[in-house]
Amino acid sequence: MAAVKETVETVAALEKYEHGFTTDIAQEFAPKGLSEDIVRFISAKKDEPQWMLDWRLEAYRRWLELEEPTWAKVNFPKIDYQDSYYYAAPSTKEGPKSLDEVDPEILAVYAKLGIPLKEQEVLAGVEGAPRYAVDAVFDSVSVVTTFKKELAAVGVIFCSMSEAIREHPELVRQYLGSVVPTSDNYFACLNSAVFSDGSFVYIPPGVRCPMELSTYFRINAKDSGQFERTLIIADKGAYCSYLEGCTAPMRDENQLHAAVVELVLLDDAEIKYSTVQNWYPGDPETGKGGIYNFVTKRADCRGDRSKVSWTQVETGSAITWKYPSCVLRGEGSSGEFYSIAVTNGHQQADTGTKMIHLGANTKSRIVAKGISAGKSTSTYRGLVSAHPKAKGARNFTQCDSLLIGKTCAAHTVPYIEARNGQSVFEHEATTTRLSDDQLFYCQQRGLSQEEAVALLVNGFVKDVLQQLPMEFAVEAQKLVAISLEGSVG
Amino acid sequence: MTLSTALKTGDLTALPSRRDEDWRWTDLRGLLRVLPPAAPAHDGEIPAGPFADLASIETVFVNGRRMAGAETASGVVALRFVALAEKASQAANHALVVKPGETLVLLESHEGRAAGYVSDVTLDIAVGEGASVERIILVEDDAEAINVVTAEVDLAPGATYAQTVLTSGARRQRIETRINHPGAHAQVRLDGVYLLDGQRHADQTTVVTHAGVDGITSQLTKGMVADQARGVFQGRIVVSPGADQTDARMGHHALILSDRAEIDAKPELLIFADDVSCAHGNTIGALDDEAIFYARQRGIPETEAKAMLTVAFVGEVVERIEHEGARAIAAAWVARKLGSPT
Repeated sequence: MAAVKETVETVAALEKYEHGFTTDIAQEFAPKGLSEDIVRFISAKKDEPQWMLDWRLEAYRRWLELEEPTWAKVNFPKIDYQDSYYYAAPSTKEGPKSLDEVDPEILAVYAKLGIPLKEQEVLAGVEGAPRYAVDAVFDSVSVVTTFKKELAAVGVIFCSMSEAIREHPELVRQYLGSVVPTSDNYFACLNSAVFSDGSFVYIPPGVRCPMELSTYFRINAKDSGQFERTLIIADKGAYCSYLEGCTAPMRDENQLHAAVVELVLLDDAEIKYSTVQNWYPGDPETGKGGIYNFVTKRADCRGDRSKVSWTQVETGSAITWKYPSCVLRGEGSSGEFYSIAVTNGHQQADTGTKMIHLGANTKSRIVAKGISAGKSTSTYRGLVSAHPKAKGARNFTQCDSLLIGKTCAAHTVPYIEARNGQSVFEHEATTTRLSDDQLFYCQQRGLSQEEAVALLVNGFVKDVLQQLPMEFAVEAQKLVAISLEGSVG
Repeated sequence: MTLSTALKTGDLTALPSRRDEDWRWTDLRGLLRVLPPAAPAHDGEIPAGPFADLASIETVFVNGRRMAGAETASGVVALRFVALAEKASQAANHALVVKPGETLVLLESHEGRAAGYVSDVTLDIAVGEGASVERIILVEDDAEAINVVTAEVDLAPGATYAQTVLTSGARRQRIETRINHPGAHAQVRLDGVYLLDGQRHADQTTVVTHAGVDGITSQLTKGMVADQARGVFQGRIVVSPGADQTDARMGHHALILSDRAEIDAKPELLIFADDVSCAHGNTIGALDDEAIFYARQRGIPETEAKAMLTVAFVGEVVERIEHEGARAIAAAWVARKLGSPT
């Protein structure tokens, strides 16, 4: 019963959205709105070479020709792209050389969020405690990246995207946009034009990254959008585990977050990418405010026997529009997608995955759990396709939806396209509500209704939680319970 | 965006295309560059239909024109749509009202007896309170034909509606069934079998909208594609707000017997009520090698073994047909299509 006790304690101890504070710090903004000049401004701010600016401008021109997609099962007023700041950064004279130069206000933010930025603090912690390197992105810029030296010793490059463009242009030019092309979709195209920072990781051949890598995204500035770009390259036989977390202040206005994540896997490489998404979900009563989370994530398994695993816990955002995908190109490559999407209040989530089998003997597995409560809507949308050359392709998909309350909705929209006679696809989906019998059983044994719901929900999502790295799993379990607080009764 | 609008107005842009979400796998605009002329009236003999021995009453449409038939919607009724004009277009509408408490076995056949026609059939079926309908649809189109059959079914409380589609496809074919399910102890069974070879295409699309409490829907579609054929299954179950105690199950299972064949499936659940039990399952794969090996070991040639296994695979759907005579005809049709001895 330890898990129950813990869940109950956290629910009692925490407010509904504990990361909703704002921080007043001196910030620099680009002028409001979006134009070619803003793209040039961002590029100039980041001291980028000409090729990068050209790339951005081409993306911007293409974006002007694209139409905003409307097929997702989400409703929101039309976004005014001119009414937002595309660049907001804490003002500094030069980029901070070390942690000591970072604005103490910012450090305080991360301390409040529980993100360890000081290496010595991490090292001074409990012996044997897991260590992980962090790239902290604050609005449009990366403020600090930890453990760079230690990682460099084994050849791992872990830095902000701006730094990578300056220091490792050959790698960036080779891989940037090779998985998610600039004109892939409306939001990816917008991101390509105005992305401001993000993380860059390169793991050399045969190296197993000695620690977990992570990025922590924080939106702070008002009326600003966050557009980060992450690129991870796992060379032959390399391995890395990457964690991503995100939070934002509570505001009445909606803010846009349109990120692109590209993963490149060469022969025998493996990447495990975990996300705990906890953007501000908007006011639970009125639905006002919250983040629009329109994200494109894709992994390209170029090498034979490469393996990618996406795990996501989606509890935040007013609107989520996100389909982490795997392009299984290499022979025998495999992709996994484990997802928990919790919606409450007025949240809307349209999320799922794409498994595109191009190579022979490729395998994929999808486990998606959706929980809807309040007046929210949760949709699983997924594509599994096998090319005629993908002989021996194998997919297993399981999507389960749990409904809590009369006013929520849960949808399942899977697409399956099989184009050869030697592959096997299995898909199963269920939609049910929390079982009265089980709730009654728990309550009979002295659990309150809230505790019983938390216990049953934890059981429902257990398959996915088990895939998360240890520290994240505990965090995620608490988050799921908190997100559903007050949903029954 | 329908074929019937295009046939009525002659406007090709009214045809659904891949850009229409519900038609993404059944592109008519890309295929149909010119609308063929309207089929002429037919005044000769009409060959007997596949259910001739079972039905007491026959309603017959030839080249889109109604030839004969009474307005009866009870007992065993044959409904035939016969295409006898080559490279011509035809459109037919028909409405059936089944009175409360009545029982109707509707034996519907789409008989392509000419080459390369374009056909559109729209049916409206209203099933009264406590009435029961079993609709068997046997579709045998020409390999070059385009055929779209759309049925809109309205159920009253306590009604029972069962449907089985048996199709061998066409150049492009769509059998669409939309059911307005009131809940209220009404029951729906929606089944289908598609057996496709050559370059044939068959699309089975269903939409069941549960509007009230206590509704049951059970769906099972099975198919086999060989050569360069393409099977499409789009099933959508909608549970509207307040339609609690809905029990809906959907299954689609298909075999791909060739590396150039394709199956596309989209089993959707859209749920707006919480006290429901809804599930769908979808599997696509090849025949079990071990089962074929077992049969061959026992002296059954490979082609025969494959036919036997496929017959057994789709047999589950055929067995759900309640009308005995129709079930026997369906079983014989499956055996004939697969070249297996009955």
